Amino acid sequence: MSTDWKSFQPLLIPKIPNLHKIDVYEKNGGYKTLKDILTSKDHTPESVTNTVKAANLRGRGGAGFNAGLKWSFMPKPDGGPRYIAANGDESEPGTFKDRQIFEYNPHQFIEGSIIAGYAMDITAVYVYIRGEYRSWINMFQKAVDDAYAKGYLGKNICNSGFDLDMYVHSGAGAYICGEESSLMESLEGKRGYPRVKPPFPAQKGLWGRPTTINNIETLANVPLIMKNGSEWYTSIGAKTHPGPVLYGISGHVNKPGVYEYPTGMLISDLINEVCGGMRGGKKVKAVIPGGSSTPPLRGDQLDGVRMDADSLREAGSMMGTAGMVIMDEDTDMVDVLWRISHFYHHESCGQCTPCRDGTGFLEKTLIKIKNGEGETRDLDLLLDLCTQIEGRTICALADAAAWPVRYTITRFREDFEKRVKKSAFALA
Amino acid sequence: MPEIFIDDKRYEFEGSPVLLQFLLDVGLDHPFFCYHPSLSIPANCRQCYVEVGTPVPNRETGDYELDENGERVIRFFPKLMPACKMEASDGMVVKTHRSSELVKRGHKDVLEFILMNHPLDCPICDQAGECPLQIQTYKYGPEGSRFEHKKVHKPKRIKLGPRVILDAERCINCTRCVRFTEEISQTHQLAIISRGDKNYPATAPGREFDDPYSLNTVDICPVGALTSSDFRFKARVWEMNQTPSIDVTNGKGANIDIWTRDNLVMRITPRFNPNVNDYWMPDFGRDDYRRMNENRISRPEVKVDDTRIKSSWHNAVLTFNEYLSGVNNKEILGIGSAFSSVEDNYALNKLLNRIGVSELVFTPNIEEGSGDGFLISDDKYPNTNGCRLLGLKEMNPAGLNKAISAASVKVVVMMEDDLVGRSVVTAEDLKDKKVIYFGSNNNETSKLADLVVPITCSAEHTASYVNVDGRIQRTIPAKETLYTNRKLNLEMSVGRLDRYATKYDNWSSDDNRIDCVPAWEFIENAAEQSGQPFNFADARDVFEDLSKSIDAFSGITYERMDDELGVVIAGSEKQKVTSA
Ligand SMILES: Cc1cc2nc3c(=O)[nH]c(=O)nc-3n(C[C@H](O)[C@H](O)[C@H](O)COP(=O)(O)O)c2cc1C
Ligand code: SF4
Ligand code: SF4
Ligand code: FES
Repeated sequence: MSTDWKSFQPLLIPKIPNLHKIDVYEKNGGYKTLKDILTSKDHTPESVTNTVKAANLRGRGGAGFNAGLKWSFMPKPDGGPRYIAANGDESEPGTFKDRQIFEYNPHQFIEGSIIAGYAMDITAVYVYIRGEYRSWINMFQKAVDDAYAKGYLGKNICNSGFDLDMYVHSGAGAYICGEESSLMESLEGKRGYPRVKPPFPAQKGLWGRPTTINNIETLANVPLIMKNGSEWYTSIGAKTHPGPVLYGISGHVNKPGVYEYPTGMLISDLINEVCGGMRGGKKVKAVIPGGSSTPPLRGDQLDGVRMDADSLREAGSMMGTAGMVIMDEDTDMVDVLWRISHFYHHESCGQCTPCRDGTGFLEKTLIKIKNGEGETRDLDLLLDLCTQIEGRTICALADAAAWPVRYTITRFREDFEKRVKKSAFALA
Repeated sequence: MPEIFIDDKRYEFEGSPVLLQFLLDVGLDHPFFCYHPSLSIPANCRQCYVEVGTPVPNRETGDYELDENGERVIRFFPKLMPACKMEASDGMVVKTHRSSELVKRGHKDVLEFILMNHPLDCPICDQAGECPLQIQTYKYGPEGSRFEHKKVHKPKRIKLGPRVILDAERCINCTRCVRFTEEISQTHQLAIISRGDKNYPATAPGREFDDPYSLNTVDICPVGALTSSDFRFKARVWEMNQTPSIDVTNGKGANIDIWTRDNLVMRITPRFNPNVNDYWMPDFGRDDYRRMNENRISRPEVKVDDTRIKSSWHNAVLTFNEYLSGVNNKEILGIGSAFSSVEDNYALNKLLNRIGVSELVFTPNIEEGSGDGFLISDDKYPNTNGCRLLGLKEMNPAGLNKAISAASVKVVVMMEDDLVGRSVVTAEDLKDKKVIYFGSNNNETSKLADLVVPITCSAEHTASYVNVDGRIQRTIPAKETLYTNRKLNLEMSVGRLDRYATKYDNWSSDDNRIDCVPAWEFIENAAEQSGQPFNFADARDVFEDLSKSIDAFSGITYERMDDELGVVIAGSEKQKVTSA
């Protein structure tokens, strides 16, 4: 890691009072990058896309895909409308970082969206915000109104001839509407059923037109890259997964919260230094690194594990949304897993069979184990069911439901064995 | 021609067919639920998995990459793929359950999930016997269940609309019904509500599923979730015989199957014809089974001293000839019917022509604006174009009324058409005239007739009809009359019980056989009685005769109608049905 995290100054949510106000944001250099891009001859849509691509800005919504590369998939403009859908649905358990941007630094996200809009010749940006975030929706709407009033949104932005609209859309309480194609269906006023891909959103997105979906935090990074250059950006944090990131840390630590640091932080540093250690000095039993769908790591296997895609892959998990859940030695992993499975069972859209019925099968079997009625073969059954679900559905929710089951059982099997009776027969 | 390799066997194909459809078309059975050839493809049931690989093109040479043995390098998708979402492409390699354990396991896995929340009520479910879930579970499903928990409970016996009932627990969420209302009938009346395993289709609150095509969802529902409120619990599929026929309730002539048991028509379902009705038919056409069973005229009736009495067929023939020969031929008016077949109108016309009566007249039954441009036409009768092509004289209702009421007319011979019920003529208009009525059902007109000749309905005879688009199609008898026998008439279909059971299991009752004959047969008998037979032994003879004497029908045969799914008669496709 090239930057010393202790001296790192937050970039996504800088410690500037009242930064959510447009005047304060402008006074601190806000919207200058946008103006530069729109008015100087040095920038073209291609150059912006290439800079973001070179910065290797990896999506903060879960999959970690290079944002610039994703933008480059958009077909050539044909005069028809093109869209960005900004994903602020933020419903994955353990994840609560986009709302910090809505509250404390909405304009950086708006500026990033406009730059992205310029780069892809976008007509309108739809900002899809989790329905339960009522107050954040209101706060963010105010920021959008202010940006319109100052001419950063609407017609002829900064006298550049570039037009862009931004619409705020409230979700209605379904986790699945955070999945990008389901989000588009929802925006179109339909039931939130994920679409079968291909066609991909860049080919056929909102209302059949080219669309790019990015996470809120992803887009909030764009002004930083455009202001300071891709080289500067790649020097922050982990080499293959650079940049600042909002770590949403919850669980049995002394100071849970959202912390901004470079990527590639040691998990142990985040727990012990950033969050002030474990509550009551207890030992770490498990860490979910990036939202409930990412496989949990054992507390005794955290040595040297860092919060970036490569290190976490090696350790057997994923970066996800960097929504970390830290659990101490008193945690019962059977209860934890049941709670997670309950969530995915409840949130499955029900479109495809393995997910619709498989998630229920998983949860019901876990309830049986939780109630002390399980047998060892139920554990084998659960793993078997995961094989029947993984990779066989329309969207990744089913994988997200199966992975925690597979890895919690394989990594914390002793917790499960304690709860179950020995089977007389093997699994059919 | 592009080639594809399925389970190590080579096939050729054209275009870019849906892989699942291609498998089915070349006769490889493959499980699926949500796919339907006429609907969009949601790939949601995940039942149709295959393993798919494609050859790797070499960018420079344009050929496919080869391995060290000179075999094509095939890059397989890392996951099981739904065959309904894949398009066949040149060089594609496909493994089905026949050659891949993984695919076999995939099919079994999905069925295990579908069945875990599906009620085990096949013994009382209407779909049993024709249920894709039941059939595919036998073929591809797991042997037992590992699911030891409570099933999800959902509402049962929901009246979605006047004709369709939903059992939400049986629903497997394939969305076929929803897609039908979105894409085919376009009423958008159904949507899936709730989420996850609580999902089921429903109407908007306070709204009814009264789509005029609603019963098609019952046909395409791959389980017993949607049932017809009229048909449910009436018959098991294996007790019925299924006969291909034509819907005669409107001018479109949707292709149908008539399902009979014990000589009663139990239900009518659409039969695939891409040129006419695809897989669909309007709901009211299905209700036509009542007309085939109920209120039938059985045995001839004659009026003696103002009372109508049943008569023998011999007496009816004598009476018929007596009426016709008792007056001057100018005093006879023959009325054809766009409700009746080409054969029956032709035979009557031929007979009357021979005794010097001019062409039959007829008036179409058109309700302007009542059609929907889809499968419901403005024309309420199945054979208006047939009458025109036969050269019958088309009149509007007022014209026909005038022709009938004319004092010069003493005898009126009517082919089945309820002119009194349709208010074309009144009882007053027919007073003092001898009325001969050929009909299969009692109605306002038959009530007034002096001679009623009971004739077969469309479920009992072989006959052809020309639809609003000029397509001639034919029916096949589905139901026995007193004089026909399904064992002797090889065209009549046989059911499972006909083939495999004892005679006591099936068709045990003679109650529902109607004492009637096709109109042409009665006319032949009358001609023969007067000493000049036409020598029509069956409907085929009548049709051959007319195809020889009328140019429009020349070259058309029953075989062509069967093989070509109906034949468009040259010139008539442009003919627009008008009320003139
Ligand atoms: C079930 C499911 C839920 C998701 N929920 C969210 C979400 O709430 N917010 C989000 O940004 N991405 C979510 N995603 C990921 C999106 O599909 C998409 O990959 C992401 O928004 C792309 O943005 P990024 O490339 O900037 O990360 C979800 C994915 C799945 C499968
Ligand atoms: S995987 Fe689950 S959430 Fe995704 S489309 Fe299928 S049923 Fe819906
Ligand atoms: S009711 Fe039948 S057709 Fe409709 S979704 Fe359910 S299973 Fe499919
Ligand atoms: S038929 Fe349902 S997924 Fe292919």
